[in-house]
Amino acid sequence: CSEDFLEVEPTGVVSSENVTTAENAEGLVVAAYAAIGNDNIAGPITNMWVYGSVRSDDAYKGGGGRGDVGAFDRYENYTLTIPDAGEEGTPTTWSLYYKAISRANVALRTINEIPEEEYSEKQQRIAELRFLRGHSHFMLKLLFKNIPFISEDLSDEEILETPNTIPNNELWDIIADDFLFAFNNLPQTPDQAGRANRNAAAAYLAKLRLYQAYEQDDQHQVININEEKLQEVINYANEVTGSLEPDFANNFLPGYENGSESIWAVQFSLDDGTDIGRGSYATGLNSPTGNALYGCCGFHQASQNMVNAFKTDNSGLPLFDTFNDSDMTSVENYGSIDPRFDHTVGFPGRPFKYRNTVDESGDMIYQTSWARDPGVYGVYSNMKEQQAPDCSCWKKEGPFIATSVNYRFIRYADVLLFKAEALIQLDRLDEALPLINEVRERAAASTTRPLQAGALNIYNIDTYESFPSKEIALKALKFERRVEFGMEGWRFFDLVRWGEAEEVLNAYLEEEKDERDYLSTAHFTAGRDEYFPIPQREIDFTGGLYEQNPGY
Amino acid sequence: TVTDGNMPLPGVNIIVKGTSNGTVTDFDGNYILSNVPTDAVLTFSFLGFTQQELNVDGQSEINVILEEDAAALSEVVVTGYSSQRAVDLTGAVSVIEMEPIREASMSSGSPIQAMQGRVPGLFVEKSGNPTGSSNRILIRGVNTLGNNEPLYVIDGVPTVRQEVFSSINPSTIRSVQVLKDASASSIYGSRASNGVIIVTTTDSMRGEELSISLNSNFSVLSEKQQRYDMLSSQERGRVLWEASVNDGSDPNAGYGEIYDFDWNENFNNPELNNITIQPFVGGNTDVPAGNTDWQDNLYETGYVVNNDLTVSGGSDKAFALINLGYLENSGILKYTGYERYSAKLNSNVKLFNDKVKLGVNSQFYTSKETLASTDLGGGPTPSLGVNLAPTIPVFTASGDYAGPLGSGYSDRNNPLYMQYINRWDNTDRTTIFGNVYAEIDLLENLTFRTSLGIDHSQTGIRDVEPRVSNGFITRNINRLTEVNESFTSLIFSNTLNYQLDLDKHKFEFLLGTESIDNNLETVSASAQDFAVETDSYFVLSSATGQRRSSGTVSGDALFSQFGKINYGFSDKYLASFTLRRDGSSKFGANNRYALFPAFTLGWRINNEAFLRENEKISNLKLRAGYGVVGNQFIGDFARFGLYEARYGPNQHRYAPALFSEWHNIGTAYDLEGNSSGNLPAGFVSVQAGNPDLKWEETKEINVGLDFGFFNNKLAGTFDFFSRETEGILIQPPIASAVGEGRLKWINGATTRTNGWELSLAYSNSSENDFTYSVSTNFGAFKDEITSLPEEARTSYPGTAQNSIIGQSQFSIFGYRTDGLFQSQEEADAHPTGGAQIGNSRPGGIKIVDINGDGVINSDDRDWLGTTLPSLEYGVRIDLGYKNFDFSVFGSGVAGRIGVDPYIFYNNFVPGRENAGPGTLNAWTPTNTNTEIPSLSLVNNFTETSDYIFRDNSYFKIRNLQLGYSLPSELIENWAGMSNLRVYAQGENLLWFTPSGYIGSDPERTNIDLIPNPTVYSIGLNLNF
Repeated sequence: CSEDFLEVEPTGVVSSENVTTAENAEGLVVAAYAAIGNDNIAGPITNMWVYGSVRSDDAYKGGGGRGDVGAFDRYENYTLTIPDAGEEGTPTTWSLYYKAISRANVALRTINEIPEEEYSEKQQRIAELRFLRGHSHFMLKLLFKNIPFISEDLSDEEILETPNTIPNNELWDIIADDFLFAFNNLPQTPDQAGRANRNAAAAYLAKLRLYQAYEQDDQHQVININEEKLQEVINYANEVTGSLEPDFANNFLPGYENGSESIWAVQFSLDDGTDIGRGSYATGLNSPTGNALYGCCGFHQASQNMVNAFKTDNSGLPLFDTFNDSDMTSVENYGSIDPRFDHTVGFPGRPFKYRNTVDESGDMIYQTSWARDPGVYGVYSNMKEQQAPDCSCWKKEGPFIATSVNYRFIRYADVLLFKAEALIQLDRLDEALPLINEVRERAAASTTRPLQAGALNIYNIDTYESFPSKEIALKALKFERRVEFGMEGWRFFDLVRWGEAEEVLNAYLEEEKDERDYLSTAHFTAGRDEYFPIPQREIDFTGGLYEQNPGY
Repeated sequence: TVTDGNMPLPGVNIIVKGTSNGTVTDFDGNYILSNVPTDAVLTFSFLGFTQQELNVDGQSEINVILEEDAAALSEVVVTGYSSQRAVDLTGAVSVIEMEPIREASMSSGSPIQAMQGRVPGLFVEKSGNPTGSSNRILIRGVNTLGNNEPLYVIDGVPTVRQEVFSSINPSTIRSVQVLKDASASSIYGSRASNGVIIVTTTDSMRGEELSISLNSNFSVLSEKQQRYDMLSSQERGRVLWEASVNDGSDPNAGYGEIYDFDWNENFNNPELNNITIQPFVGGNTDVPAGNTDWQDNLYETGYVVNNDLTVSGGSDKAFALINLGYLENSGILKYTGYERYSAKLNSNVKLFNDKVKLGVNSQFYTSKETLASTDLGGGPTPSLGVNLAPTIPVFTASGDYAGPLGSGYSDRNNPLYMQYINRWDNTDRTTIFGNVYAEIDLLENLTFRTSLGIDHSQTGIRDVEPRVSNGFITRNINRLTEVNESFTSLIFSNTLNYQLDLDKHKFEFLLGTESIDNNLETVSASAQDFAVETDSYFVLSSATGQRRSSGTVSGDALFSQFGKINYGFSDKYLASFTLRRDGSSKFGANNRYALFPAFTLGWRINNEAFLRENEKISNLKLRAGYGVVGNQFIGDFARFGLYEARYGPNQHRYAPALFSEWHNIGTAYDLEGNSSGNLPAGFVSVQAGNPDLKWEETKEINVGLDFGFFNNKLAGTFDFFSRETEGILIQPPIASAVGEGRLKWINGATTRTNGWELSLAYSNSSENDFTYSVSTNFGAFKDEITSLPEEARTSYPGTAQNSIIGQSQFSIFGYRTDGLFQSQEEADAHPTGGAQIGNSRPGGIKIVDINGDGVINSDDRDWLGTTLPSLEYGVRIDLGYKNFDFSVFGSGVAGRIGVDPYIFYNNFVPGRENAGPGTLNAWTPTNTNTEIPSLSLVNNFTETSDYIFRDNSYFKIRNLQLGYSLPSELIENWAGMSNLRVYAQGENLLWFTPSGYIGSDPERTNIDLIPNPTVYSIGLNLNF
């Protein structure tokens, strides 16, 4: 009697034997997808605004002073010399990516065991899961470089013995294998919009091979550009079908999600029966502050350098070397800018998010007072990740704000510019020119919304007629990436890929510290600051198995 | 007839000395004893009275007046499933005198709060919540790394819910014992490792047929003394100017929307001409800038009304007690409050020639509470009351609640508004607690007792979130969340008790079994979009928007067998042996059961022939014991590997932390790309299994000495203990690469605690009706972690080289500081790096280069001390003169450091929040004799250091009481009243702190909580 009495079975949960069945396989796949959007505000895994934008010349941390989410301040100032302690920042991001990887692996282990005749989607689901696993490993690699690769055949004990010392090039290939499997087994058009497809796998392969092409030594310095990989970039880019949205703005508005330019995106949703809605909380702190429309918390503010980068010359082309010679502090005084400026930066006097009002409740013309801490971080804000507060895609949960608008990891514009970059590096400048111009033409056609909202028309943008040299073509490519993807979170990784992070960022800091006192001691240290340290606790938990990155 | 000089005494044992011939007095104190030799000697004994011997001398009627024996009042001690004479106790057991804490219990509504500082080895940390709940109760410090809450056994029914004890009106409590060491508590086996508090309520009469008593207390509560001084709007402007200028940043750029700084704009030689407060917050003409003292607006004088009425009566065959109580605490924080109705019924009846006793002990209460709330971003209102900027007014010109607007403000709400919008929030708690029992005398001295106990609670939490527009912080969706929690614990215990007296050998045997079945169910539902925002409209069905629900079921079971043998020889030598075998559903079949043995020895030295004639030594007893107890405070299903269908929870549900509310961890995903609506979902691993999980064990040695001198005028107890807890149940973190939900419980760490306790009391009376007594208690302990798995170390402070092994789990690891730099030269000459960068300035804090390597970095941290005191002590003085009584009670702690939260505000300038007046005395080239660093907005050294963690020993006058009992000659005429006492008392009155301590109440170590108020009360006790 007493033995029965003490057998209390768990309720509302299932044991591992019961969950890893064919019936539950589909659910395990969904859970693996969910994990790529399970962001933490202070440890993002979708929008890379902290790691890719704030750490670059695009943006400042923003928020209420330097101490507000102090880890991000250390990233911005490159004062992270010992690994982050606590949860803020990279330790959380690291662990969330591995959580996502483990969900994919649990599903893979289950599905591997199910005979194909019982589960007709078997191959496709395996391909999707490997794509998801590839995605998380890829993002980890951008951030930390030397990471353990976790496959589904490893037990908990074996994972604890899996080191992070795979040589750089080899690790790229291992991650690429997952995308290759996906590329070979995924349908071009999946049954559901949110699933990975062949297009996404091709684009990811193009992206991965591009990063891989710039070969780094142990000190993260680019020592060679691998032409074979560049050719692969072109090949995979050619496999991607897609097109640019007619209006640049469509990429940052509801109604165009999973459209022709969206190649690989995380699906966000609101009013979906979850506790807070599966919205874009990674950027939850980034709305303008100081106005009743939004409220909190003023993070991710455009730098003066970013603002200046949108200046164009008389012929509508960027000012490669002179854009930062003078500061554009009011557009009226400047008078010739790239239209993408009004899609990227909240700027005093300009309509915010293509609007001038929200109902009767508020003025949507961006004001100086919308900035939270202008004494430290100036007055400009971000815009791409924001939506108007009357949008059904917009939600305020507590003080923080999320939208249901997907975050595109890879847009078609990216694929065009990956290909253009590879072509230029292979000296095929003429083939690259139309790709860059395609992006610029679309930008030129993207003025309707800001103008309708009352923006003063000072736009002036044109295409390149030709690239006289590889050097100029590269400058054009790099500048195009900067203004096309401004504040989308990729800039820092571009700079590291190109091997010019130290040069560009220290030059930026030298100029920018005149505007922003708090940057006066910031300095980028080559051979260290290209990558984050492996979180110390992960090294401790594996008994020192992981090797720390150089410089930390 | 036997009386106490006043009333007849039933149940007095009368025995013909030297024989087994005896009897017991009946309800009227009468007795009949036959076959008594004329030269016999009769012995009259009754619990709590001095034993008397009388020569029969041929009398046929002997009337006796027994005298109360004050020292013996607490003589019988309930020690778990049985009771024992105090003089025979061999374990470390503290008997709590209820009398002195009755009034303090009335004003707080919680006997446990009133015990603070009064029992050696019992550590109580109060909260200022109107519920009277305590934050932390520790017996002999800490024992394990997890839950350290003691077990309560109330009338034989165990519970870990402190609130059950708190709800018992003190007038019905007969005794409270604290079982401190493992030899005393091991009879409770697996649940006893944190100590046991045994509460016995009144279940029999003494000398009266009917008794009515009324206790009434009215208290006034104020937190004014516990407040922190903060800056006015004008003063804050000055401080912000100075800090900005020190940082080399333009104050008008940073705070120009709040202040207009008129200064010479010369950073090298700054001069401030004038500061004007901008007239409107955020430039909004509806919001004129204020000069708000938020604490003054947020708090009000609180009132506590506490009344309880007890009616008890009975005969020698039957007894009944009914107690009703009503407590209301209006709360010092506005829009908070607590209300409790309680009822108690104890009743029993003796049948079949007194061979069978049937009874019930029960406790019912229902309460409502509304406590401190948080703002929209999760900031608790008590801390906003301290630090919100003073320029924000409480109300706008048009009468709405004002909030932050424009740049320069924190993203925090008006705390008064937050309390106001949460005024409909409520938590209802209803509990039924008690048992029915039967005691059957099977044979002479052999008693069987069976008891069925229940601990059932129903908790309903209502959280109303109306729409909010508060400056730039808004909430445009309203929502209602209702949570219902139902907990039921069924306890079935059966014991056999046998007493055997063989001449000088006394034996007492106990055998028993106990089964405990716990179940917990929670249901949570929420809905949003309510058309009307009134209290009555906020019901779930009225919502038109999205709905969510969730629920959990959990449970565990325990089955135990236990036995105990007490042995006494000649009233000199005592021994006791206990063995308990516990089985828990929380552990797998391999490790389900564990044995918890204990034995003790005692030597009553004063009964030895060589001391018997000694008039000075009235009591001397040496005790020693060893015992093993266990712990199983882990999740009900900790040993299993588990998957869950987590549709869409946020992290907050499982592990509240910064930003966890906005952290999705679910499995639902918008695969269709619809952006809303019901989503497909799956499963996720939430726990890795460990079939080898087993009990945590604590082994403890206790040696004690009880002593009494001069007829027990001076009496005391000293105990020394040493204990080790092995196989502590921990869930160590694991490398993230292992993946989600792969944490598992293991038996990992070991801790050791050594300590001692001393209580000492002196009481005497002099001529002229003057009585006085002084009692003191001291408790000291030191705990250390002696082993910890490698992977768990990062969960604790310390580094690989300087780990927490050998330190207390409450140790603080940080930098040491050495004053302020007086010049740039001095700063430049000092090592820099790490936290020192930015503080290497004139007036900056100097961090000690502990390892002397010429660089300041995280290796320069060391152990600074612990936050649990190494010594606690209390002193009580009672004076009585005729009908007046006066008592003063104080207690304190020493040997601890604590974070003084006020330092963050008083010694540094937080850019968005208000600062304290200390910042007005900051270091400047002309004000160098100060400990406040030169002001800065960006370079504030707020990392863990001895600058923040300071000695916060204190001594507090906790209770002062003056009472007057009306003369009995007078009140006897008032409907036969037997006692009428009126009293006035003050609590939490004043305190003494070390010189470096700058905060207010040294017990206020967390500004997120409501402070403990100062309480003044008047009350009366009335008995018929």
